[in-house]
Amino acid sequence: MKSLWVFHVNTGACNGCDIEILDVLTPYYDVERLGVKLVPTPRHAHALLVTGPLTRQAYHAARMAYEAMPPKPRLVIAVGTCACSGGIFHDSYALRREHRESFEYPLRGGASEFLPVHLYIPGCPPRPEEILYGIALLKNIVEKKVRGSWFSESAFVLPRESFNAWVEVLLRARIRKELGYFDGYPLLRRFMELVESSESKEELEKLVQKAISEESDSRLRYGLEKLYSYYLEVVRTYESILAAKRALVRLPK
Amino acid sequence: MTKMYPFEPAEAPPEYRGIPRIDPVLCIGCGACANACPPNAILRIDDPESGMRRIVLDVGRCIRCARCEEVCPTGAARLTAEFEAATDDRRDHVEVVELKLARCRNCGRYTHYTERQVAKVLSLIPRGILDFDRVREKLPLCSECKLKLTVLNATKFGEGE
Repeated sequence: MKSLWVFHVNTGACNGCDIEILDVLTPYYDVERLGVKLVPTPRHAHALLVTGPLTRQAYHAARMAYEAMPPKPRLVIAVGTCACSGGIFHDSYALRREHRESFEYPLRGGASEFLPVHLYIPGCPPRPEEILYGIALLKNIVEKKVRGSWFSESAFVLPRESFNAWVEVLLRARIRKELGYFDGYPLLRRFMELVESSESKEELEKLVQKAISEESDSRLRYGLEKLYSYYLEVVRTYESILAAKRALVRLPK
Repeated sequence: MTKMYPFEPAEAPPEYRGIPRIDPVLCIGCGACANACPPNAILRIDDPESGMRRIVLDVGRCIRCARCEEVCPTGAARLTAEFEAATDDRRDHVEVVELKLARCRNCGRYTHYTERQVAKVLSLIPRGILDFDRVREKLPLCSECKLKLTVLNATKFGEGE
């Protein structure tokens, strides 16, 4: 098929995916160079662009649009996580879905439950590139990149042991409050490498000072200073607990 | 200028939240990600007959909120910068990590946690703070045996004096 004419149906989406579809039509991404055209009636369309988790109300309209399309080709393209599998709304009362007793996978829901879907484009919302990639996949320009995978009996690695692992757990909660997970966790990993490479307290202090002076981002500098002070606090607490325990053991019976 | 995207590769920015992946080398199967996931894109399914726990990740239901990355204790669940997840088969979106459940040292039945979880917990305890042998003795026990042991210890209370 050379040019795909699509009809866009919103079946209860939050409008995020609809805006991304508009993005794809702008001159910067320009999906029309792939032959895709948005048409105002399903009678002219080859494909139905479905966004949204298919609510009870929208189901009938979507069905009517689907039946109004010419019989061949009659494609359905699910854009967005909601249309693929229900997404965040998968257990909403407003969705039209079958009753299910147990968890099964791939998870069902969304448009795929009542319309035969030919292409799934997940994302919340998908990037314009993602939609372009999906259209290109439908036209056999690109190859499929995702594959299902099943890992069983693989090797197991514990990155840290004993005291350092304990320290990492305590520092992780603290740094998440200070910097958030995105900057905090990689910074914590860097800091723990410094701790493991140093042999004495003085050497660690030198290494941390060096890392702070070399860092250009002021937030990461602040995070490193905080991590070092928390580390010292944890070490102090550990030593005081040990001392208290030793004193307890030495008590005469 | 129009982007040439499908005909030339494009990269997402480094902070872009793309498809999540679970690293099977680091995953301990604790299910923290399954608890945190708002759309239930990650499931924790226990199979007591074969003694396996499956962590099932469905990219097609993921909303890329990165809560799994935030709560994962070992850093196994991560959001990659990949975004090309379009497919014509939903089975391509599923990633399964299968882990062994630990056996109860008393009755031999499968417990509610994996062998890797036991290893992780034992590796966390710093030396000298807790009575290491007593913890190790109690750890691979199923909930019923743990209950019995607790009751038994409670009835013995005060006998040693």
